[in-house]
Amino acid sequence: MRIFVITSFFFMIFGKNLLAAEAGMPQLDPKYWASQAFWLVLIFTLLYLSISKFFVPKIRNSIDVRNSKIKDDLDEAKNLKDMSEKKLKEYESLIVNAKREVQKIYTDSKKKLNNDIQNKKKSVEKEIDDAVEKAQSEINNLKKNSIDDILKISEKMTATVIEEISGDKLNESSIKATISEVSKKKISNYL
Amino acid sequence: MATNPMHQFNVYRIGPEVKIAGIDISFTNSSLFMLLSAGAICIFLLLGTREKKLIPGKIQLVAEMFYNFIAKMISDTAGSKAKPYFPFIFSLFMFVLFCNMVGMFPYSFTVTSHIIVTLIMAMFIFVAVTIIGFIKHGFKYLKIFVPSGVPVLLLPLITVIEIISYLSRPVSLSVRLFANMMAGHTMLKVFGGFVISLGLLGGWLPLSFSVALTGLEILVAFLQAYVFAILTCIYLNDALNLHH
Repeated sequence: MRIFVITSFFFMIFGKNLLAAEAGMPQLDPKYWASQAFWLVLIFTLLYLSISKFFVPKIRNSIDVRNSKIKDDLDEAKNLKDMSEKKLKEYESLIVNAKREVQKIYTDSKKKLNNDIQNKKKSVEKEIDDAVEKAQSEINNLKKNSIDDILKISEKMTATVIEEISGDKLNESSIKATISEVSKKKISNYL
Repeated sequence: MATNPMHQFNVYRIGPEVKIAGIDISFTNSSLFMLLSAGAICIFLLLGTREKKLIPGKIQLVAEMFYNFIAKMISDTAGSKAKPYFPFIFSLFMFVLFCNMVGMFPYSFTVTSHIIVTLIMAMFIFVAVTIIGFIKHGFKYLKIFVPSGVPVLLLPLITVIEIISYLSRPVSLSVRLFANMMAGHTMLKVFGGFVISLGLLGGWLPLSFSVALTGLEILVAFLQAYVFAILTCIYLNDALNLHH
């Protein structure tokens, strides 16, 4: 479309002698056609030869080298990736195993500790019971002894008091009988 | 005469007149700019391949980009059978592109704006593709003119159309490039002339047009080189893989 507009533009301006090469288009002047053809063929042939024999192999070589390098690098990267994934899996299994072990150790030690505590508790309770029993028997002994002592002291005191008041000496056995009789009646109030 | 927009397309002799068997093959400004373009390509590719780094430098990157661009274009349009023709299409693309781009410099000459240059390239491609077709397929290559699946009644008409379209390939290929380059450069020159004739007061509008057109012309320069190369690939594809 553009060409059409421009060519019609030319026809308007140079319409009269457009096809006459001298005034219109130098392209249609055959004077140097042979020269242009000759130089075109010569130069293009040289260019083609230098490109096909020299430049294209060089560029192709450099592109091939790069592509093979990229391919190698990609392969290596894939290998490394596989390796690292393998390592990651190993690591994860290690972690899982370790967690399992930790759990086992934890439950085991918990059980053991519980048993220990139970045993200790039992032995301590037993000791306490023993100590309580011992103390109880000691107290009982003490009670028994103290009653006897009290009775003896009471007899002596009674004998001394009566002797002081009455001036008479009473029969020791009758005092003893009276004291034991009284103490049997009243002692329960103090024990 | 300097304001004549066609003046820039003049071909003139540089140096002595050379005649071989009565044919004038003197070195002209056209030859000079062909040489410059080819030289620029060689320098560019030399810089691009000088040090083969694993991580390419700027010029190496661009050179390899061109290489991959053409390689992809060929494999997309003509398939793997066209691989041996890669250097030719690469040279063709680079040559047309650099001629177009060198022509964008002010006061330079656009080699591809001459019908004779583009016609010779197009005729070479046409003849080469036809020969390749006959070598690969023998006389079966003539099947290209007889598309399959066409009603018998229409066959004579279609065949004639196919033959005409096949024969017009070099013309369309060469005229497309030539006309695009000539039209673009003439338009630039015309607008440049307007800038001068309208002066300081009114010259700004055509100047801004000129700037925009320069950008457009750079695009066209690339596009036409691409079109030239891809059409070559398509013709090559017809010759290599007989689809009809």
